[in-house]
Amino acid sequence: MDPREILREARDAGRLVLDEFLGKKLFAHYGISVPKGELIQDALQLRRAVKALNPPFALKLVSPDATHKSDVGGVKLGLQDAGQAAEAMDAIAAAADRLTLKVTGYLVEEMAPPGREMMVGGISDPRFGPVVVVGLGGIFVEVFSDVAFRICPITGLDAQEMVTGLRTSRILRGIRGQEPVSEKALVESLLQIGGEGGLFLDLADEVSEIDVNPLIVSSHGAVAADVRLVLHSRKGHDESNAKQ
Amino acid sequence: MTNPTQSNKKIRKQFEPLFAPRTVAVVGASASGTTPGNEFIRHTRNFGFTGKICPVHPSAGEIEGLPAYRSVAEIDEIVDYFYVAIDAAQVPAVLAAAQGRVRFAQVMSSGFGEVSQGKELERKLVEAAKEGGVRVLGPNCLGVHSPRGRITFVGGAAAEAGQIGIVTQSGGLAVDMIRRGETRGLRYSGIVTIGNSADLTPSDFLEYYFADPDTGAVGIYLEDVKDGRRFFNLLKEGGAEKPVVLLIGGRSQQGRRAAVSHTGSLATDARIFQGLADQTGAVLVDTLEEFLDVLLAFQLLRPRDDRVTENVVVFGNGGGTSVLAADCFADQGLAIPALAAEARQALDELKLPPGTSIDNPIDTPAGTLRHEEGRIAERILAAIFGLSQPDAVVMHVNLPVFLTSTDQRIDVIANLMQAAARVQQHYPGQAHFLVVLRSDGAPATDERKRAERARALAMGIPVFDELSNAAAALAGVAFHEKFRRSRNREPR
Repeated sequence: MDPREILREARDAGRLVLDEFLGKKLFAHYGISVPKGELIQDALQLRRAVKALNPPFALKLVSPDATHKSDVGGVKLGLQDAGQAAEAMDAIAAAADRLTLKVTGYLVEEMAPPGREMMVGGISDPRFGPVVVVGLGGIFVEVFSDVAFRICPITGLDAQEMVTGLRTSRILRGIRGQEPVSEKALVESLLQIGGEGGLFLDLADEVSEIDVNPLIVSSHGAVAADVRLVLHSRKGHDESNAKQ
Repeated sequence: MTNPTQSNKKIRKQFEPLFAPRTVAVVGASASGTTPGNEFIRHTRNFGFTGKICPVHPSAGEIEGLPAYRSVAEIDEIVDYFYVAIDAAQVPAVLAAAQGRVRFAQVMSSGFGEVSQGKELERKLVEAAKEGGVRVLGPNCLGVHSPRGRITFVGGAAAEAGQIGIVTQSGGLAVDMIRRGETRGLRYSGIVTIGNSADLTPSDFLEYYFADPDTGAVGIYLEDVKDGRRFFNLLKEGGAEKPVVLLIGGRSQQGRRAAVSHTGSLATDARIFQGLADQTGAVLVDTLEEFLDVLLAFQLLRPRDDRVTENVVVFGNGGGTSVLAADCFADQGLAIPALAAEARQALDELKLPPGTSIDNPIDTPAGTLRHEEGRIAERILAAIFGLSQPDAVVMHVNLPVFLTSTDQRIDVIANLMQAAARVQQHYPGQAHFLVVLRSDGAPATDERKRAERARALAMGIPVFDELSNAAAALAGVAFHEKFRRSRNREPR
């Protein structure tokens, strides 16, 4: 599916935040690995979908009302079989119901292989346009503020320096007997987002904010386990510099 | 496509009326002689300006002894540089009336985009300038200081032109850069203050300085860069050729608030500027001091493409000072490693008195430096330069120790500086050579420091106040060298 069509679909639905399913489709188009998964609506579809996937699974609420899914009980991880997946779906449905959240569907996915959780983001600066960001993922990103910014497009060397310049880059190389993870895969993901012809520059007129957290980097590769993509409000876009 | 030399010549020509005007008009000077316009006329004349200055005034016959004109339209020549210091509300009309007879207008008046009620007026100013065919510097700025063109907005500045080009959003800081910079030995190819940069932007002047053959390095103070994308692309293109030093105002929340009321800036995450520096080789500094120190280093030291400054030899008097220097250089990512064996052996053979440390940092107390009637300094420096291969050598002298000593048989300071001169000649370009002259601030010490500094500068040796200043300057050079080396290696 053409990325612009995906964005039009979201805009037509009156939404500036892409749901995770569409967001991941967009990422996949630019070569970024996302977990194998399917958008489903009911128990029957869930059972069918799970057959085609390898456990463990993740099940996530897809709702226009919930931007932070885990805060509302909308994420269940480490599900081992169809039975556990069905139970998880019931629990998420109940939670959504309690909070009167609109349910678009559920995203069932294979879990990414374990690795180090990184954060890759993109912001539209009013002066510099698309800017790409990398840092340690998870909840600590705000505490340590160990992040590197670069103006797009970044080169391979820029991406490499972003990663090695992080104070926390040591944990990628493995500390205390941990297996080192693939810095190359992280660099590659940065380029797919912030490089020439990457997602952000290619869609700079549409996309105002990108948040991949976590990007799970293992020794084999990097998988965007959760993505969030915000579009320019049309008014904001016309005023901003970010078009180029 | 035009070739770069041609387009550089075109850019230089375009801005020539601003940096070396032949005809200057001034509106806002008065017959009573107390306005900024009068100051500008006096400073510029005292600076040796030989062109024509035309005061513009509605009624006065003469201003500063010069015949006044009713408007720029009455002036026979095209006005290269139009100094405008009148009430903000009147500025647009004056610019619109220029009718293509003015090349550059420098608007000193404030009350534009930096205040909320002035934003509309700033928009009008830009429109009026377009209508009048004028390019505008400012508003809310002091103008251009150009030793080459002999125009300035300060009194008593050095008339000698140099290789450092400055563009700054703050006029007050420009005055600091001129005064403090000159004391340090900085010499300028131009200093442009751009204030709110409603028309001409930092990028325009970055492009100019990159194109200007007289400029060797560029210093920029910014609170906002409206055409950030162009600024970034220019730095990316030229930042490896000519070193750029960046001082960014408004990096903190409270600094940002101050910047908004100063020049009407818009928020950019300050961390983006570190990214910009890493991507372009521009050196990002935190303070005005560091800004001037790094620029001084770029004025006198030639950054290398093939060898990044990492290893430094520190030599001078003061044990604690040497230890603190080692810490300070470490903080800047610079190593003070053990000397090469041959150098170490040569120093051993000098049989220096006890209390001397010939490990790097080399600490030679006053008594040691009086050794062999003070000729010892040159032997030490020769061993460092000739037998070790450091990337940089820093010699520091605690001046009052020698000036206040009861033993004045030998002028140790003079010996040290002569030794510096000789190694600088004997081993040219082998290592970056920096001198630190430490003063206690007493008038006699400062006087000596001034004299020795002038001598060192004449030999191309940059002089710094403290070891921390030298470390910061060297770290700036190292950052730039590292960038050049990494980008040279990158396959295109």
